[in-house]
Amino acid sequence: MFDILSVIFKYVFVIIIYVFIFTIIRMIYLDIKTIKTISGDLKAYLKVLNPLDTIPYKMEDTYVIEDNLTIGRGSDNLVVIRDPYVSKHHLKILLDEGNYFIEDLKSSNGTILNNSKLEDVSILKSGDIIKVGDIDLMFIHKG
Amino acid sequence: MGTNIGKIPIRLLFLFEILSLSLIFIYRWDNLDFNTFATGIGLVLLVYFSNSFLRKISSGDHYIFLIVSMMFSIGLIMIFRISSDLGIKQLLWLLIGIGVFFASYFLVKNIEFWDKMILVYLGTAYGLFAMTFILGARLRGAINWISIGGVSFQPAEVTKIALIFFLASYYYNIEKYSKNKYSEWIVMGIVYSYIGLLFLQRDLGTALIFFGIYTGLQYIYCNGRRYEIANLSLALLGGSLGYILFDHVKIRVLTWLNPWPYINDKGYQITQSLFAIAEGSYFGTGLGRGNPSFIPLSYNDFIFSSISEEMGVFTGIGVIMLFVLLVYRGFKIALLQNHKFYRIVAIGISLMFGLQAFIIIGGAIKVIPLTGLTLPFISYGGSSIVSSFLALGILQGASEKVVKEDETYE
Repeated sequence: MFDILSVIFKYVFVIIIYVFIFTIIRMIYLDIKTIKTISGDLKAYLKVLNPLDTIPYKMEDTYVIEDNLTIGRGSDNLVVIRDPYVSKHHLKILLDEGNYFIEDLKSSNGTILNNSKLEDVSILKSGDIIKVGDIDLMFIHKG
Repeated sequence: MGTNIGKIPIRLLFLFEILSLSLIFIYRWDNLDFNTFATGIGLVLLVYFSNSFLRKISSGDHYIFLIVSMMFSIGLIMIFRISSDLGIKQLLWLLIGIGVFFASYFLVKNIEFWDKMILVYLGTAYGLFAMTFILGARLRGAINWISIGGVSFQPAEVTKIALIFFLASYYYNIEKYSKNKYSEWIVMGIVYSYIGLLFLQRDLGTALIFFGIYTGLQYIYCNGRRYEIANLSLALLGGSLGYILFDHVKIRVLTWLNPWPYINDKGYQITQSLFAIAEGSYFGTGLGRGNPSFIPLSYNDFIFSSISEEMGVFTGIGVIMLFVLLVYRGFKIALLQNHKFYRIVAIGISLMFGLQAFIIIGGAIKVIPLTGLTLPFISYGGSSIVSSFLALGILQGASEKVVKEDETYE
């Protein structure tokens, strides 16, 4: 009785162990893929154009824009830029009827949108480059 | 698909544990008592819930604990099959080990001055060595055990982790320390003093691990090729001196090159191990149907051979793959970690697991000379299990993003 069980179980064990390993590898692989194709699933996001290792403080590679988003030096912003030339609450991006708008929050050193100083609320197009302090952010909007 | 894949491994693990434990309970039916049964079920539930719990509380890596759960489940049924006494003890050690895992995870997460305690690590290491020499008992040729109040443990298991933390705090603060021109040589001296002491204890396997961890971290973090060349030449010199001076080193090499003339005494272990693996073939003889008791230390150093005999070479390869995945995740954790100190610790721990598995599995299958070591998470042994879980908890802690205010990005 035990012998039969033992013989059956040895195959079962090998199968379980290999399916387990295979699933883990697959999960790890999917994780890697989601990091690489993250831009494919998102509608609107900001991409940091400066190479991350040249920035003397911590920043992410991309920031997803849900509806509203603020950029500034303070920790309560969604995009935190710890640069002394950036104001606490520097600028704001907001969604209105499918379009994204950018507004400078009266920052001391201003915001540059595509090489010209941002004066008023402006509409953002995909590919626009926003310069805050030393950081260049590209706005990307799909669909 | 996709949403549910995360649940598959944990369910497979659960299934594996239930099936293997029931098989073992049937095998050990005659001397099975309620406590053993309850502890077994307890472990299965604990593993299941700690995996889910970890998913909730830790934002870091979710694979390492799963991988390790599979490893110790394989080890546990093998040990249970060889001896039910040891199996029960191993069950208890695993319960303690999982507790230690969570404890060390929370400690690493919540304490921030790990990199400033270089002298503590140094003191711990030398203290443990001193303890070993004063209180140590010679067991199987090596003085590496001490027993306090009936509980015996191997201090070198803890020293390994102290070494990793020592090297991490040195390389993390290297700018401060390198004001002293000789700092790199001093560190090398300290590491070699550990290795020398281990040599005196005749604990060759652990000495090899210390050397491996140091060489690996030095290769990554030390600038200046002359230190690496010095390290490698010292190792070569020490190795050859050891071979000439110590008989036990010579025997290891001789039985590795050709164990067959010594099959009755010195080469007994290695030849039995090879017979066992050959006996098992691809799928093994089946649990309880082989003769792992023919191999000396079949539950400890040679557990890999026992697993290969009864559960097949495929399971053996599976074990190696689990270690490869564990080390891969360890390096991945190091790559994702921004804080240099935790990055070095993660690399050190991954190196330690990888090297230890390589040295003992390689020894058991006669790829490299045999040195006595435990297979992490799989072999029987309280200090081995507890210290491996300690290291895993540290790795888990290091897998989370340590964001400090105004931390400069490297």
